[in-house]
Amino acid sequence: MSTELKVIASASGISRIFRGGSNEVRALDDVSFSLYEGKTLALVGESGSGKTTAARILLGLDTPSAGSVEILGQTLGTLKHEEMRLLRRQIQVVQQDPFSQLNRRHSVQRIIEGPLLAFNVGDKESRKKKVIELLEAVGLEKEHLRRRPHELSGGQCQRVAIARALALDPKIVVLDEAVSALDVSVRAQVLNLLRKLQQERGLTYFFITHDLGVAHYVADEIAVMFRGRIVERGTREDVFENSKHHYTIGLLASVPLANPQAVKSNNEQVQTLPSPAEGDACLYRTRCAVGMDRLDCKSTTLTLTKGTATHSWLCHSPQGS
Amino acid sequence: MRFKKRFSISGFIVLAIVGITLSAPLLSPYDPYGIDVGEPFLGPSWTHLMGTDDLGRDLFSRILYGGRITVLIAIAATIVALVIGTLWGMVAGVQRGWVDEILMRTADATMAIPQILFALVCVSAVGSSVISLPIIVGLLLSPTTARMARTAVVVELASDYVVAARATGLKKSRLIMTEVLPNIAPQLLVQLSINAAAAVMMEASLSFIGLGIQPPDASWGTLMLQGYGNLWNTNWYVFFPALVVTVTILAFNSYGERIRVSLDSRKSST
Amino acid sequence: MKNSLIVKNLSISVPSAKGRVAVVDNVSFEIPAGKKIGMVGESGSGKSLTAYALMRLIKDPVSIDGGEIFLDGREILGLSSKEFRLLRGNEISMIYQDPMSALNPIMRVGQQIIESIQLHSPVSKSVARKTAIDLLASVGIPEPESRIDSYPFEMSGGMLQRIVIAIALSGEPKVLIADEATTALDVTTQDRVLTLIDKLAAERGLSVLLITHDLGVAAQFSDDIMVMYAGKLVENGSVDQIFSNPAHPYTKALLDSRCDYTIDVNKPIRSIAGQPPRPDNRPSGCVFSPRCAHAEPRCSASVPPLTSSQGRLTACFRADELFQVGAVN
Repeated sequence: MSTELKVIASASGISRIFRGGSNEVRALDDVSFSLYEGKTLALVGESGSGKTTAARILLGLDTPSAGSVEILGQTLGTLKHEEMRLLRRQIQVVQQDPFSQLNRRHSVQRIIEGPLLAFNVGDKESRKKKVIELLEAVGLEKEHLRRRPHELSGGQCQRVAIARALALDPKIVVLDEAVSALDVSVRAQVLNLLRKLQQERGLTYFFITHDLGVAHYVADEIAVMFRGRIVERGTREDVFENSKHHYTIGLLASVPLANPQAVKSNNEQVQTLPSPAEGDACLYRTRCAVGMDRLDCKSTTLTLTKGTATHSWLCHSPQGS
Repeated sequence: MRFKKRFSISGFIVLAIVGITLSAPLLSPYDPYGIDVGEPFLGPSWTHLMGTDDLGRDLFSRILYGGRITVLIAIAATIVALVIGTLWGMVAGVQRGWVDEILMRTADATMAIPQILFALVCVSAVGSSVISLPIIVGLLLSPTTARMARTAVVVELASDYVVAARATGLKKSRLIMTEVLPNIAPQLLVQLSINAAAAVMMEASLSFIGLGIQPPDASWGTLMLQGYGNLWNTNWYVFFPALVVTVTILAFNSYGERIRVSLDSRKSST
Repeated sequence: MKNSLIVKNLSISVPSAKGRVAVVDNVSFEIPAGKKIGMVGESGSGKSLTAYALMRLIKDPVSIDGGEIFLDGREILGLSSKEFRLLRGNEISMIYQDPMSALNPIMRVGQQIIESIQLHSPVSKSVARKTAIDLLASVGIPEPESRIDSYPFEMSGGMLQRIVIAIALSGEPKVLIADEATTALDVTTQDRVLTLIDKLAAERGLSVLLITHDLGVAAQFSDDIMVMYAGKLVENGSVDQIFSNPAHPYTKALLDSRCDYTIDVNKPIRSIAGQPPRPDNRPSGCVFSPRCAHAEPRCSASVPPLTSSQGRLTACFRADELFQVGAVN
């Protein structure tokens, strides 16, 4: 990334361990990333990758077991309750389920006004004005103000959620699978809207998704997660055209494209995917054709390999070596 | 709150019972306290809709006034149970951890106490009146309300809209009041109705065994006791109070069920 | 080629404030034996309800208002529920999106498969158990002899979906319906499960109806594609025809609005303006006309029938002329 870009938020060495009785789950393991002002970082991963945990930690809704998070120069763990509350105005969230993230007992107006009420911003008149402004910015109409979430479609609900997220004029918006539950054509509308809003308002997006196509479209930087670690990171071109980690390659090969001429996945395999082996240095080893029999993938601790200024990965024997 | 059909039979009956009994002074054809006004143990007739009691007083009038007492006590008890139970359950659900454990185990323990025994102890300590009875019955009903409120709060706090609200920096207290409470209100309303039915039952039972409203005042329970004592003279004296108690409890329970069903159907609509 | 399934003029309705409204409107199609059909559409297109009708799982207040369904030549909507129950699972089977809720959480998975096997053929428990182990192996479960005694909570989503497939195939049906069966799975697991279904279908000569909103999945898996919009079947053709050369403006618009890693990131995505109409608010004439870039007055005047155009079926008055002009492509 260019040195002119300002780092607006960063996570350093984040680990998060969940303990349940005798079980210990390492949801995140030494994860670091930076958000650059006005840019989008996409965190791509499947279930169990830890991406949702990363989002919660960034939003201050969960505390890491190790490492630190810094937002606009303030370190999250050190803040007092009220300071944290004030910082929250700068980082907002849009979640996956369009309906459940809105209070079903509130009207659209009340929902969008919510954050303004939380900080006693302005008076009734000015708040209503701001709500209408936001409503129109997300492509809805005044007549939607009185409606309740169940009277709206999925796409409309998601727009309301976006309007609410912008109410306090935040710098950062966390989009946690924000388009995953939408129909294809609605998804397109919302992605266009998000891009327009980012350009107009200079927003920084932290975009979590399992959908590689969406990640490709929105991201300036992509981080691929597997089992709590970022296994590869880079620009679109780095990750999609020059993939180094075998998980990334496998992931790309599995994505079905809407083009019947496209080479179908080489994968003739029907067996279930092998689970990671507990003590392995690389958790992907059991599924990796290259690393399966390598000693270093089993026992040598992985360190980050920096390929270029933008591209890095966590692999002993990356593609092309 | 919107329900599919605004009109329901059980709701109408509940409203009718409450309305009629509370207007007893306006509707009662006779004075319930009069002495020796007529012939005792008469059966139902056009002059005495429900017959007369052992002192010749109109039973219908006594039931109207009795209903007023029973219904007022039941409503008061329900409110006591609602306030105490909701607070109890919500604090447990919000705090979780050891606070939750202590509060809920206490609720379980309270529910394990035999109700009549509890009432007996309380009545011997503070006596039975229109003030003490609602509190005693209310206390007995609050653990169930507490458990229901706790579960409801825990479920709501795990919802996405709460995550969103927390992310907007909403203070915890305001979050509970403005975001969560409106969502658990319907369930509390159901509990209200069911508690009212239980309260009527409890008051009637207590008065029936002599621990409740004492003569010359008479609630439905007291009337049943008196009627029971005069069973050799006439069946009607015990029958009518028992009938109205049964109908009232059925109506409150049905109404509560009805609200619950309409809530469930709204939640699971495709 | 023999047809496993023929659907004629199927209509399904639901109650609304304005009386009963159609959510599936006069849909007709055929599934030849051994073919894989992808049914694509967005929410409210009626694709899932069509599948439910094929399994006769439609219940009040939803009702089938008309149409006929022929399974292997036999009309099934007219059968009594008792008669059809013999066919359900035996001739035609269905799997759904969430394997967790399809399985009984307190019963071992082997027991559930055995139950299904014994339901469809009179065999002893030990024979059924052997068959179950074979089924588990054929759906790619490692160490089936020990896995057969696992509980659902001990297994991952991908594994559970395979169990569900095993159960669905235990009656040796001729038609398998998969309703968003891989939507809840990770993309790497989805790939394997689809390959599995493909393989099993080929081995057993199964017809598969795959219902999905994922255009990529439909493109990779299917032989033929059916496109549903607002309760109507708007296009029906081979997978190559539909994806390379869509005839219906909706199909074209849907394909244009997808977001995969081959699209141009520098341009906005070509989305379709507006939303699909609600069942109680369907426009007159062609159901897509209000949102169609090529709509003419005749499009709102009458409903376009499914007609042949460039080798496939399309419900659009202008299909041929738009193709000449090169507009829809």
